[in-house]
Amino acid sequence: MSQEILQQIREQLLELDLDATVAAARQIVDQGDKKLAKSAVESLTQGLEIVGERFQSGEWFLNELVYAGEISREVLDLLSPLLETGDESTQDAIVVGTVAHDLHDLGKNIFGSFARSAGFRVIDLGVDIPVEQFVDAAREYQPIAVGLSCMLTPAAQGIESVVLAIREQEFSVPVRVIAGGAAVTQELVTSVGADAFAPDAVTGLNQIRAWGEQR
Amino acid sequence: MNFKQRILKTMQHEEPDRVPVMGLILDPATTNRVLGKESFNLAAMLQSGELDDATLKALQSDETWNQTYLSTVSDSLESAARLGFDANWVIYSYMQLQPDPQTSLGWVWHDPYGRVWEIGSDNHGNTTTNYARGLCTTPQKWEAWVESKREVFDRMIDSVRAFHIDVVEKFGDRIYPIGYAAPGVFENCWQPMGFPEFTRLMYQDPEFVHRIVAFHTELYLRFINAVMDSGVEVVLGGDDVGQKTGPLVRPAMIEKFFGNSYREISQCVHDRGRTLIWHSCGNIYQFLDMYVDWGIDGIITMEPTAGMELKKVREQIGHKLVLIGNLDITRLLVSGSKEEVEQAVKKAIADAGPGGGYVLSACHSHSEVDPERLKWMIDAAHRFGQYPLSLPAN
Repeated sequence: MSQEILQQIREQLLELDLDATVAAARQIVDQGDKKLAKSAVESLTQGLEIVGERFQSGEWFLNELVYAGEISREVLDLLSPLLETGDESTQDAIVVGTVAHDLHDLGKNIFGSFARSAGFRVIDLGVDIPVEQFVDAAREYQPIAVGLSCMLTPAAQGIESVVLAIREQEFSVPVRVIAGGAAVTQELVTSVGADAFAPDAVTGLNQIRAWGEQR
Repeated sequence: MNFKQRILKTMQHEEPDRVPVMGLILDPATTNRVLGKESFNLAAMLQSGELDDATLKALQSDETWNQTYLSTVSDSLESAARLGFDANWVIYSYMQLQPDPQTSLGWVWHDPYGRVWEIGSDNHGNTTTNYARGLCTTPQKWEAWVESKREVFDRMIDSVRAFHIDVVEKFGDRIYPIGYAAPGVFENCWQPMGFPEFTRLMYQDPEFVHRIVAFHTELYLRFINAVMDSGVEVVLGGDDVGQKTGPLVRPAMIEKFFGNSYREISQCVHDRGRTLIWHSCGNIYQFLDMYVDWGIDGIITMEPTAGMELKKVREQIGHKLVLIGNLDITRLLVSGSKEEVEQAVKKAIADAGPGGGYVLSACHSHSEVDPERLKWMIDAAHRFGQYPLSLPAN
């Protein structure tokens, strides 16, 4: 029965069936089974990894990526009373924000939602973020990465400013800088000395996950 | 052959005297540099608190908005004409200044569709306006919003018509002002709600999505008809369906919800004997055949940083679509060398110019696009774009 519920969560997520995925999670809540709730999160994570693979291969599109993230968030909200999340600060953190003078947050929000669903602690600074705020957040949370989103070309110089400011800091663990968005290219990322280019949310998250494992 | 003949012949996939060059100039930063004008920074004025109540009230009126907007667009057309473009895109936007305690400035623009646009300034001290969020985050809020805006929509359509007639009268003998009906139906559906919410509705409440699409299609048809009332033979429409690596939404879902809307729009344009050029940012290879099926005559933009290449587009679609754009604005037309600009022009013409049906242009606009480099682009088009083309195919 337990295995069936876990399988249902993963499979219905991949069918993008919100009602069926939530119904499966509700069975766990009704049973009050904490161990099963923890396993359900793992099933959800496995499902999201497949979602990411499908997106990267071009089989799935952004709407499917976003909706899978929405379904996962609902399931996690439902299961949260059974989950012993412990101290939030021990979760792997990612700081995200759009660079100064850029208010476009669609890409950042999609990335944030997907990263949260995958178990990361996302500190979303919002839009039009000055360099100092990225630096302050990096010092406070010591994240795996600072994720910079930039859609407007005129705002792209803000990426270099953040990279330079982060490099001036001393951290007890490596804090990387990753950038993505319509105005960002691999060429730009290389030229400003950021650690990686995120052409899409899944590639970005995979890179951050790899950095997290190296820590 | 004059600029208009050159554009119209190209629209027929015939070779004019030379490849036409179109401007996508909108930003005051670019026009001010061409015209030698001072910047105007509304954000700074609002921030300083120096505006009295009477001025703020005037800023909230349609009359002030329309006058200011026409003046800005006139500057962009004047600068495009002076630089030597054959055409320039012309977009009418309608916004109302609203107090907003959520922003540091205390003021934002609202458009009639339900978006909030934040007021800022560019690196040159000019006012900027950027989409920030939606005001209609649920179907109920959207229903209430559009019901309250019916009279505003009517006024907006009247303003669209008057604006485009004005622009053609003022500039039509010097440059071809190609009117653009924007924002598109898809954008008007999702942006007032936010992408996650609209995505959720596509899965969970498709009937509502069909209703909102029908509403915006009807409004869009009124908008594009008002643009066509100016008499121009070519109009721009569009919808941003692409992102950096591919479609924002599964193309089959776009077809399901928006396909008939786009067919209605192209039919409306063709019924009036006009040509419809369609804009989308992003990587749109997967939509090219759909554009043809929807009845669209050409596409404008093709961002190279989203992987769009003229040669590949031509290979995929042949001469079923007129192509406009593709020159990079992230680096080439901001800080590229003269030689790089010339090479890019030569490549674009060689890839898309044979047989006509290509208008050279930047792939978009922003405040850092350099007028000098635009001039290099035009000069190179004049040098290397004479028909019959002598450039080797790439």
